[in-house]
Amino acid sequence: MADMAEAKLTEHEAHYNDRVQFGFWIYLMTDLLMFTVLFAVYAVLRDNTLGGPGGDELFSQPLALTETLILLTSSFTAGLGMIAARRGLKNQVLVWFGITFMLGLAFLSFELKEFAEFIHEGHTMNTNAFLSSFFALVGTHGLHITSGLLWMAITLIFVMRRGLNGPLVRKLTLLSLFWHFLDIVWIFIFSVVYLMALA
Amino acid sequence: MSSNPKHHTEHGTTASYIVGFILSLLFTIIPYLLVTKHKVSGTSLLATVLGFALLQMIIQLVFFLHLGREKKPYWQSSFLVATVGLILVVVVGSLWIMHHLHYNMVPTEASKKLVNDEAIYQIGGEQTGACQTMGPNHQITIKDGQISPTHIAAQKCDTLSFVNQDDEAHHIMFGSFEEPQPYAGEDMLSLRKGRAKTITLSEQGTHTFHDHMHPETSGGFTVLP
Repeated sequence: MADMAEAKLTEHEAHYNDRVQFGFWIYLMTDLLMFTVLFAVYAVLRDNTLGGPGGDELFSQPLALTETLILLTSSFTAGLGMIAARRGLKNQVLVWFGITFMLGLAFLSFELKEFAEFIHEGHTMNTNAFLSSFFALVGTHGLHITSGLLWMAITLIFVMRRGLNGPLVRKLTLLSLFWHFLDIVWIFIFSVVYLMALA
Repeated sequence: MSSNPKHHTEHGTTASYIVGFILSLLFTIIPYLLVTKHKVSGTSLLATVLGFALLQMIIQLVFFLHLGREKKPYWQSSFLVATVGLILVVVVGSLWIMHHLHYNMVPTEASKKLVNDEAIYQIGGEQTGACQTMGPNHQITIKDGQISPTHIAAQKCDTLSFVNQDDEAHHIMFGSFEEPQPYAGEDMLSLRKGRAKTITLSEQGTHTFHDHMHPETSGGFTVLP
């Protein structure tokens, strides 16, 4: 009897998790549409530099590659963290997501350093349409990373205090979906913004 | 949970994450090397970079987001396909419309430059003043922030080259620092270190120019008919 009740509960729980995950997936797709519009704006305006330097002069490709490798690795460690979470290994979850958090922080600091250099050299988002669209696109991704980091920090504190319970594993699942999604968006920023600048 | 094999396949295993990670690394580094070592350029660069980005997206969707391993009726995948359709409409539509808008509504200075670059001598029966044949070349050198010679006299349709021999970029603008004036459709000549740019002297009169980052670096030229 007890076994039956437990099995029913987990089935119910699994069904609920599927629904929540699908809802989150819809959010991700609408977010993707927002990024699409920003990409389209960037593609249209990238040559409108008002006589100023374009992407080929401003961007540092080695920096962009470093950022890409950092974010890619963080996506991988988040995946390993999720495997640990499904097996109920609390310490491994903390280690893998801890590494993911640090890598995300490193990525963000590289991005902010690049922005600060541009602004210091007088290439602000008011300079021309190219830079407006650049800051809008890359800045929006940076904001997503920032909120992802906040979310991760809060969830990890809960894991530390309460251990791995069902709702927390569900939250980690959504978080890792979000993180992988941001990695895919970044691949397109790396390709369309940083690599295509050399075309 | 792990005793249920059906449930297990919906999520990734360590092996699938490692495979996805290695493939992603490859598809990041290959286009990076192709582009930075100048193995591809122009349209083929755009196609190559976009191709690798799409490949990498598919790899991450499969290995990291476990797409296609969900239970029927595949709501997530269907929603993704619908979104991709919308993405194509937005991106292709924007580029297509804006390309034609740009083509048909070229701003004055840009059309002046176009007229000079393409040597179009008349538009709608009116003479544009564009040069058909180029005269001799004059040269202005920038070295250690100094311009030499500071003034040049030339005939209309001669060419004028600005040569940057400094280790930093110079941005030559025409007119004064306070009131820059485009010359023959050129707003600014961006000279990277060691590079040169040449303009055709298609507008007569005496003109001045300056380095927009260092306004004290300036000179002029007179174009005689």
